[in-house]
Amino acid sequence: MTEIDLLPLRAELKKQFQDKLPNARIDYCLTCGLCASGCAASGIEGMDPRKLIRYLVLGQDDLLRNTNWIYSCSICQRCEYACPMGINVGRFVYELKGMRPKEQRPVNLQRSCELQKDPGNSTGIPNEDFVWVVGDILEEIHENEPEWADMQAPMDKVGAQFYLNQNAKEPTVEPEEMAFIWKIFHAVGIDWTYSSKWWDGANYCLFSGDPEDWEYTVRKQAETVDALGCPTYINTE
Amino acid sequence: MIGGGIAGVQAALDLANSGFLVHLVEGTTSIGGKMSQLDKTFPTNDCSACILSPKLVECGRHFNINLLTLSDLIALEGEPGRFKAVVRQRPRYIDPEKCIACGLCAEKCPKKVSNAFNEGIGERKAAYLSYPQAVPLKYALDPDHCIWINKPGRCGLCAKVCPAGAINFDDTAKEHVLEVGSVVLALGFSPYDPSSLDFTGYGRLPNVVTAMEFERLLSPSGPCMGHMERPSDGREPKRIAWLQCVGSRDINRVGHPYCSSICCMFALKQAVIAKEHAHGEFEPSIFYMDMRTHGKGFENYYNRAKDNGVHFHRARVHSVIPAADPGNLQLRYVDEQGQVNFGEFDMVVLSTGLQVGKQTLNMAAMLGLELDADNFIKTDSFNPVATSRPGIYVCGAASEPKDIPQSVMEASAAAAEAGRIMAPARWTETSKKVYPAEMNIHSQAPRIGVFVCHCGINISSVVDVEAVAAHAKNLDGVVFSQCNLFTCSQDTINQMVSIIKEQGLNRVVVASCSPRTHEPLFQETLRDAGLNKFLFEMANIRDQDSWVHQLEPEKATAKAKDLVAMAVARVRGEGALPYNTVPVTKSALVIGGGVSGMTAALSMAEQNYPVTLIEQSDLLGGNGRKVYRNWKGDKFLPFIDELTARVTTHPQISVKLNTEISDVTGSVGKFITTFSDGHSFEHGVAVMAVGGKAYQPEGQWQFLHGVNPNVQTLLELDQRFIDEDATLKSIKQAVFIHCVGSRIPERPYCSRVCCTHAIDSAVRLKELNPDMDVFMLYRDVRTYGQRERLYQEARAKGILFIRYDLEHLPQVSEKDGQLVIHVHDPIIDANVIIHPDMLVLATAVQPRQQTGVLSKFFKCAVDSQGFLLEAHMKLRPVDFATEGVFLAGLCHYPKPMEEAIAQAKAAAARASIILAYDAVPAESVTAVVTAAKCTGCGLCVAVCAYNAVSLNENGVSTVNTSMCKGCGACVAGCRSDAISLKNIGNEQIMAAVDAAFC
Repeated sequence: MTEIDLLPLRAELKKQFQDKLPNARIDYCLTCGLCASGCAASGIEGMDPRKLIRYLVLGQDDLLRNTNWIYSCSICQRCEYACPMGINVGRFVYELKGMRPKEQRPVNLQRSCELQKDPGNSTGIPNEDFVWVVGDILEEIHENEPEWADMQAPMDKVGAQFYLNQNAKEPTVEPEEMAFIWKIFHAVGIDWTYSSKWWDGANYCLFSGDPEDWEYTVRKQAETVDALGCPTYINTE
Repeated sequence: MIGGGIAGVQAALDLANSGFLVHLVEGTTSIGGKMSQLDKTFPTNDCSACILSPKLVECGRHFNINLLTLSDLIALEGEPGRFKAVVRQRPRYIDPEKCIACGLCAEKCPKKVSNAFNEGIGERKAAYLSYPQAVPLKYALDPDHCIWINKPGRCGLCAKVCPAGAINFDDTAKEHVLEVGSVVLALGFSPYDPSSLDFTGYGRLPNVVTAMEFERLLSPSGPCMGHMERPSDGREPKRIAWLQCVGSRDINRVGHPYCSSICCMFALKQAVIAKEHAHGEFEPSIFYMDMRTHGKGFENYYNRAKDNGVHFHRARVHSVIPAADPGNLQLRYVDEQGQVNFGEFDMVVLSTGLQVGKQTLNMAAMLGLELDADNFIKTDSFNPVATSRPGIYVCGAASEPKDIPQSVMEASAAAAEAGRIMAPARWTETSKKVYPAEMNIHSQAPRIGVFVCHCGINISSVVDVEAVAAHAKNLDGVVFSQCNLFTCSQDTINQMVSIIKEQGLNRVVVASCSPRTHEPLFQETLRDAGLNKFLFEMANIRDQDSWVHQLEPEKATAKAKDLVAMAVARVRGEGALPYNTVPVTKSALVIGGGVSGMTAALSMAEQNYPVTLIEQSDLLGGNGRKVYRNWKGDKFLPFIDELTARVTTHPQISVKLNTEISDVTGSVGKFITTFSDGHSFEHGVAVMAVGGKAYQPEGQWQFLHGVNPNVQTLLELDQRFIDEDATLKSIKQAVFIHCVGSRIPERPYCSRVCCTHAIDSAVRLKELNPDMDVFMLYRDVRTYGQRERLYQEARAKGILFIRYDLEHLPQVSEKDGQLVIHVHDPIIDANVIIHPDMLVLATAVQPRQQTGVLSKFFKCAVDSQGFLLEAHMKLRPVDFATEGVFLAGLCHYPKPMEEAIAQAKAAAARASIILAYDAVPAESVTAVVTAAKCTGCGLCVAVCAYNAVSLNENGVSTVNTSMCKGCGACVAGCRSDAISLKNIGNEQIMAAVDAAFC
């Protein structure tokens, strides 16, 4: 059994979070475990949201700085939603992720974030490839499915009513998956468009915990949509 | 009196019975409130309607209670002693003077409406009676749904079928302008609606219900007649999960930082009762944060539930989702060890909390009353029933979530306060009930009527009541017998009066429940019919039959027949008895000079009754002087000093310090108490407020107390706060251990006050030194009601709570004088080691040793722990079974000062009911001596506990009727069969025995 000698009680990490986030409410925790009951990641790596808060208040900072549980947490905020005290465990997980030195983070996660910054999508395919794959899939449908013969998959259409982004995994490895939503849009008669750059809707840098990085990628996407003048942004991620 | 729930009813009865006219204003069609919707009540498992009904009937029949249903207070002006209240009474559309409650209107009414009394489960008609025992027992038309009222000329079926011509579609609202001296608000609460908590599934999944809905599902008068059925398919649930704290202790989705105080016991009770309802296998599970069983008898109830197979999970369920089996529900929960578990249930009950109703908010705004941070009506720590506006009082859940006993205490306390203002007007507005002349039955042959009660399904689901009634008809002397659904309901009572007259009955037997609760009601019914009330017997075919022989219905029916035959045999030989009275000595004795005793004394003195207050020590103030402040931050000493000054200077109060009791004789109306100084005092009533004491830590609970100077109890720390001990600021680490000496086999009760007291002391330390590390080692945090805010404040200040259990007690040791504490943190399974400068023990509250001796003087009971035992835990929390003696404060059970004050005022109110009269009824069933048989041995004199028997100048035993209590000790003691009790003589007893064996 772990021994925790509180002489005195030093909870630096907790204090750090409280200073940074005035509404942190870490101390309010009732240890009721409602967060843990709702968390898909409970039990993984011997951790759950309640334990995370408990380690924070008991000053077990080293353990928290090293737990890999934070990479099982998707910051979905089911915990905060139902927490009687409204404690946002996800926010602390995000902070912990950002504190982890980049070289100690999961390799794939960090790489996806880097690729999202350059060339601009998380699988790293060139933008031309994305444009080509979209055209190719559309052509295939036109050839094989006559009922969709007049469907379009517009690219950089200025002034379209809706802007649609795209998870990079699909054009890279499962391109035919993209077409379902095109069909829905076509059937409904929606005026939409993709863009040929900053088209990846994922936000990997959020999950690696780097505010500057994810702000950069999100801002690039926003600028692209603004330049096209689309009033509505559809985020499929 | 605004509000006709249990609190309003109790306050109305207390005031009406002590000489005041009461206007009881109720918003719905009938009185009874939330309690009338309950199936059973904790901790006694009494049938709620059964114990409530006599009070409702008394209210409905009371000469000095003007019952205004469908009514709202719409304006109030004036000042204490002279208010003018305007009450608007909405139309009922059925004339209550004409309605005979036959129910034909409801039967024929084609319009179905969601049944609000059943919490929306099932339907009623637009012509309706809210529940079978409703008072007044008068139907009403629902103006929102009645077809005729909305489209005159359509329907009108009810008017066509009503045999009494009671339907009045043209009924209009009336305004009553009432002159009143005081206003008491008993506005109750509104159950929390969990619809917005989407993750609970409520509103989406039919088998997720609220606690109140489940109560209706259990109730015999509910939508499934007490056969527990789940909503989706009517199947009897075999596995039910209760989810605690839904709508309470939540500042995120709900916005209620407070604890609703009653839901833990509510869930426990439902789990236990559901198990009784279920046929065969049944698995109840309760999911909770802290189990809060802080009231008298509650911890025992919790322990019994554990022993009887109720599963307790210290866990909370995040989402309720449909299981594969249709209608079933799947719960995923993480236990305290962090393990993920799944459970499938047939039903989920959400233990929904209490909140302030909209009407309460409107009422408070109209009256200009201050509300507290949770929107409850604001009261004062030291005057717990006073609102911010003089002359207006509040009782029950409108001022804080609370249970029925506490609401009843506050109701009586509010009656005391209102009575204080109106004392000069006592008996000026009232009228007196006149009974018809009693028929002389002396020469008549017995004509016995037998009434057999279904008690909803309480009796009839086991006993074949029709067969019992048929059997009774053939018994010697019986000329009439019938069954009733609820014999205690107003319509049956009225019917009974006419039957007695029509059939010329001269003796009556009711086969139903317990005479303890219902005999007075039926006896009064006899008097209303012109019969002497002693020509009556009850056969208890419920508590002593249907409830205990549930699995053997045939034998239970046979037993019921025997019980009825025995009652008939007894009543056959009974005669009319005189209504004896005892003149009342209009003064009171209060025993104990703590806050409770002083409050009770002052409350009676302010109603102009002389009071003698005795205190065994040389100082008034009691335990309160040892406590620094309460959870609201109000300091005790200034209040106690002021109270002491008011008591010692009051012209009607005589204080005797250093005084104990050496002897008591007499009974209600006239006690004679002899003090340790040899003086004696004659008084009509007595209030026991003898306090309690702190447990001295010993054995495994000593934790180095008395060994290491840094270990102290809460009261010892309080003394340092009172003394403004500057060294407290330099403490770096402090640890508190909760439940020291409470909730263990030797003392299986929760001391109620210590969680709040300990947490407030910890907060005080943090106030003195914000950098101090403070740890609370607890078992369950029981900051019930709004005390939960203090718990939250403590956590927000960084005070750390670590839970321990009896298997893992904190280990306290010292090394070179330094305290070292090991405690296991269950959340992260770690051994936490603390090196505090101070350890504080939250010790149990115990009864005083002298309590038992004192209770014997007044023939009062004590419970297994030595606390004084009230007459009924639910509805008579300040009375004793012994008339004329009342109790208040710690001698009843551990409680915070605001509750002790409320109880003391309640005791004063109850005592005032006796003091208001010149004479009170005395025992009619008294001993009589056959002088010819008496040998003058004097044994009867020796055994009489009431000093009622003496030997006259001829050496013959004589009984002083006014002092005789009819206990029968002399009868049993007499060797020559010279003494017997009226109506309980050998003749009646042998007749009953013969009836049982014939």
